[in-house]
Amino acid sequence: MSAIEFKGYALTDPSRWNDLKVTSIKPKNFSSCDVEIAITHCGVCGSDVHTLTQGWGESKLPLVVGHEIIGHVTRVGDKVKEFKKGDRVGVGAQIGSCMQCRPCKSDYENYCPNGISTYNSEYPDGVVSQGGYATAIRAHQQFVFPIPDEIESRDAASMMCAGLTVYSPLKTYGAGPGKKVGIMGIGGLGHYAVLWAKAMGAEVYAFTHDKSKMDDIKKMGADHIINTEEPDFYKPLANTLDLIVSTRDVYSPETPLGSYLSMLFVHGKFITVGIPDTNQPLPSLHPFDLASNGCLVGGSSIGSKKEALDMLELARKKNVRPWIEEMPMKNAGKALQNVKDNKVRYRYVLTQDLN
Amino acid sequence: MSTPEIEFKGYGITTTDPAKWSEFEVVPIKPKHFGPRDVDVAIKYCGVCGSDVHTLTGGWGSTPNVPLVVGHEIVGNVTRVGDAVTEFKPGDRVGVGAQIGSCGECRACKAGDENYCPKMIHTYNNFYPDGVLSQGGFSTGIRAHEQFVFKIPDGLELRDAATMTCAGLTVFSPLKVNGCGPGKTVGVIGIGGLGHYAILFAKAMGATVYAFSHSASKEADIQKMGADFVVSTHDPDYYQPLQGTIDIIISTIDHYSPDRPLKSYLSMLATHGRFITCGLPDADNPLPPVHPFDLTYNGCYIGGTHMGSKREAVEMLQLAADKGVKPWVQELPMSQAKQAIEGVKTGKARYRYVLKQDLVSYD
Repeated sequence: MSAIEFKGYALTDPSRWNDLKVTSIKPKNFSSCDVEIAITHCGVCGSDVHTLTQGWGESKLPLVVGHEIIGHVTRVGDKVKEFKKGDRVGVGAQIGSCMQCRPCKSDYENYCPNGISTYNSEYPDGVVSQGGYATAIRAHQQFVFPIPDEIESRDAASMMCAGLTVYSPLKTYGAGPGKKVGIMGIGGLGHYAVLWAKAMGAEVYAFTHDKSKMDDIKKMGADHIINTEEPDFYKPLANTLDLIVSTRDVYSPETPLGSYLSMLFVHGKFITVGIPDTNQPLPSLHPFDLASNGCLVGGSSIGSKKEALDMLELARKKNVRPWIEEMPMKNAGKALQNVKDNKVRYRYVLTQDLN
Repeated sequence: MSTPEIEFKGYGITTTDPAKWSEFEVVPIKPKHFGPRDVDVAIKYCGVCGSDVHTLTGGWGSTPNVPLVVGHEIVGNVTRVGDAVTEFKPGDRVGVGAQIGSCGECRACKAGDENYCPKMIHTYNNFYPDGVLSQGGFSTGIRAHEQFVFKIPDGLELRDAATMTCAGLTVFSPLKVNGCGPGKTVGVIGIGGLGHYAILFAKAMGATVYAFSHSASKEADIQKMGADFVVSTHDPDYYQPLQGTIDIIISTIDHYSPDRPLKSYLSMLATHGRFITCGLPDADNPLPPVHPFDLTYNGCYIGGTHMGSKREAVEMLQLAADKGVKPWVQELPMSQAKQAIEGVKTGKARYRYVLKQDLVSYD
């Protein structure tokens, strides 16, 4: 068996944030719980843009991003029982956790304070985690998800992060029949939120500022579409929604958070999955905004393996497929720029072209 | 037996001049029109609340309507009930809190969450549909729809029950809604009127309690209230050892300082833990900036709460009677309302003032 040559499209010069160069990668040191995967597909995530542009802080260099990874298993460690060579699997935005803390022990490994991200993080032995715009990746089995036969790799890829990141709060909240769910921002994450919420049986209100997306959003199954450019768009929906999942990673400072919160019914939740650059906090919030309906403003970070498997089963059972555009991995730079400019409809998936 | 008609009058402000916000005079009160579901209560005691201060000073963004009698921690005895009232009879010991009306028809009202009715009427400084201004409990009596009147269980003294009708309920409701109970860890920030109740009720509900205070002088009291841990917020790193520990934080902070980022409180929360702000600062004092990273880090929530429902009030009062919950109150005659209310504004109460009604004798 010939060993995989680990290489990927990497950031080497932050002033040229989407000009990625083919670079050799040092993978994590292979351990008995690890799975090695030959990558066939990788989705392009807003996180990739935030990281490469240094918007989320100074990144490691060189850096290969990408955390919506699909491939097939080439090698498994001795302690791996769940996978064997040849299995088709996925890896998302997390690649490690401590396995011992309270969150890890309660199926909340995505909230481990010592969690390791799939890229731009450091393993305890100092190796930098490198992502999926690459030939291969190694991951602890906890962070590897089996892909059902019915779901093609090109469709499963972006479920690994975008799909899971919105599935988790929908599931945690109990989105389902009888619930009114608002989705703010219909991009990669947002379109998945519409698809999952419908598949779960909820009534879906989609909020967008982009009129050109409205036909698509209807086809995705949204029950109501609201244009957030309209003044006072939130007023007719006062006290109506049970849950709002916001995928926005940019907020207009002119619209106070209270306007969105006013759409929630008693004890409703506004969950942000979108994460802006570090210098952009949420719009101003006064306790009055929270007191009027006893609502909650929260955040959600990716999802656990348990949720990932639930999500894939829902996709399989209800035939949920994302709206994607494929391109070869060497065009990652163009894809990244288009994500930054909001041009993608609705997720790019890169096909691995290095080997 | 004929029950005496209440002569409705109270200690109120008569000018909107902010310099005279605590200058009370005895003023007559025009109560709401008496309806079939209404209850008249002869007032024995009324607590003094931060809301009274925010309203009289105009801090909450609107000028008070004058003349205005504040006070919404009311206890006394029923003197008269409307024909359709089923729950009460004259002589009953009852309380009235911060809400006096709701629409009865909306989704919130029908779910028993009338404290979230978009058309709610507050106990003072709000207008009834017929134009009468609601007047509060620094007075001889109050007239309320029975939905907003709570029976005080035997075993609970009236002067102790008074401040439960707002301060107690305002913290009991979020504790209950957010799952306080055995096995849970609750943090209480700010140990004043509301905060001390949060400790007492969280302990009565079986939780482990961390009390956070910047007042070293309160520490001995806080231990006596039953807090398991007392944390001084003077140490700038006080929150570091407590990362991921607390399930529910009840914040009674009434003024948020921009140099105390919310992130430090939020980082103490366990996965999906909740930071509930009960304090309602002045209108020009929002929460410090929050970045989504502060929320996604542990999937936590920042929430708000508003008074409590009757269902919650009844449960709270019974819990207080069963577990012997005793608030720390300082009693003053109602004619000293000015002194009491200024004491609340400057943080002097240890830990809640209760005014004994002295305009009329009901004995």
